[in-house]
Amino acid sequence: MKGIWWKVLGIILVAYSIIMGLLGEVPRLDILNETIRVLYYHVPMWFSMIAMMLLSVIFSILTLGNYSFNRDLWAYEFARTGFLLSSLGLLTGMFWAQFTWGSFWTNDPKLNGTAVTMLIYLAYFVLRGSVEDPQKKARLAGVYNIFAFVMMIVFIGILPRLTDSLHPGNGGNPGFNQYDLNSDMRPIFYAAVVGWILIGLWISQLRSRFIKLSHEE
Amino acid sequence: MKKLWQVISLNFRLEFRERRSYFSILIYVLSTVYLANLVFMQSLSIESWNAFFWVIFLFAAVQAAFRSFSYEADQRFLLYYGMIAPEKLILGKIIYNFIYLSLLALITVLVFGFFMGFPIASPLAFITVLILASLGFSAILTLVAAIAAKAGNNPALPAILSIPLLYPQILTLSKLSLRGLSGFSWEVNSSLLIVLALLALVSLLLSYLLFPYLWRD
Repeated sequence: MKGIWWKVLGIILVAYSIIMGLLGEVPRLDILNETIRVLYYHVPMWFSMIAMMLLSVIFSILTLGNYSFNRDLWAYEFARTGFLLSSLGLLTGMFWAQFTWGSFWTNDPKLNGTAVTMLIYLAYFVLRGSVEDPQKKARLAGVYNIFAFVMMIVFIGILPRLTDSLHPGNGGNPGFNQYDLNSDMRPIFYAAVVGWILIGLWISQLRSRFIKLSHEE
Repeated sequence: MKKLWQVISLNFRLEFRERRSYFSILIYVLSTVYLANLVFMQSLSIESWNAFFWVIFLFAAVQAAFRSFSYEADQRFLLYYGMIAPEKLILGKIIYNFIYLSLLALITVLVFGFFMGFPIASPLAFITVLILASLGFSAILTLVAAIAAKAGNNPALPAILSIPLLYPQILTLSKLSLRGLSGFSWEVNSSLLIVLALLALVSLLLSYLLFPYLWRD
């Protein structure tokens, strides 16, 4: 992606979601109350994380088809950015859970899914760290990344649907589905999702440029 | 088909030549089971029985399956390369590991039951779960063993790489086996059994498709 427009757009969208997220009208609901605003800060992290991981796995598939240093680098950097976003999502979620469910950690399927995703990608980073030869590294990491992505989707997308979850919108507890993102909240939420995806792209681009520069030296 | 059979029988012959690997896995199971026995010192509830059994079996399986590529990463790969298609090699290895892990599961149940008792209400269901588990484990562990063998000798790598990938299966099958311990209804649990079988199938397919990218150098 060329040009500066998408970076500016990303900053504007994220700034909009942060400011309006604090100032905008939200419905008054039992238990959730004002904490519903976490929707703007927590959920977009997962959306953008999935987007980053998807990009990462696409570049891994490309690398397996035809190796190039750049493709492998992109796969790695997108996975790193995805990991950063998932850490932020976990932190915001834990903070919210402490005030809503009364504990930082519960054995909720979605939380398990997050923990597993983070462990899988940590393993991916360890694997990359333990191979020297760049081509071999790209191949091994590519294979693992594809496997990891499929298992992540199974874990966070399919298994939770088979069990109850504490999360709003699942398993019959007060949730976002009840009022289905009322019309005041929807634009801010979507702005946050798009904005964070753009910021994620930007971070990955900066990182990969940095690596390329230090590599050429 | 003939080639496939050759890979399987070759593996059995090679491993049998190094019998101490079988014995070391056996001793591993014995000592971990006895450790659980020492720590608990009393009869277990079925929940703890289930949890302990699967943790012990999981680690034994990782140990056992990791051997499948450990001493042939470089030299023998070259030999195989001219003789056999990679798809057949991985299928043969997976079938070998499936047989191996099924036997290991059986032995683990016997040893574990000897010390901890057999609180198994419906043995048929429990055995079904064991076989499905061995199938899914062997598919994932064989591919990960190949990755780890190629990545060099980092002793922690097989466990780090494989355990997060196994979480979806472990979560499903521990739930199923707990029901197998407390009384099993085939109608109620058929959907979970199908999920478990599908997970094993997906892992099998991924290993089959991705392995050819791994081994060429």
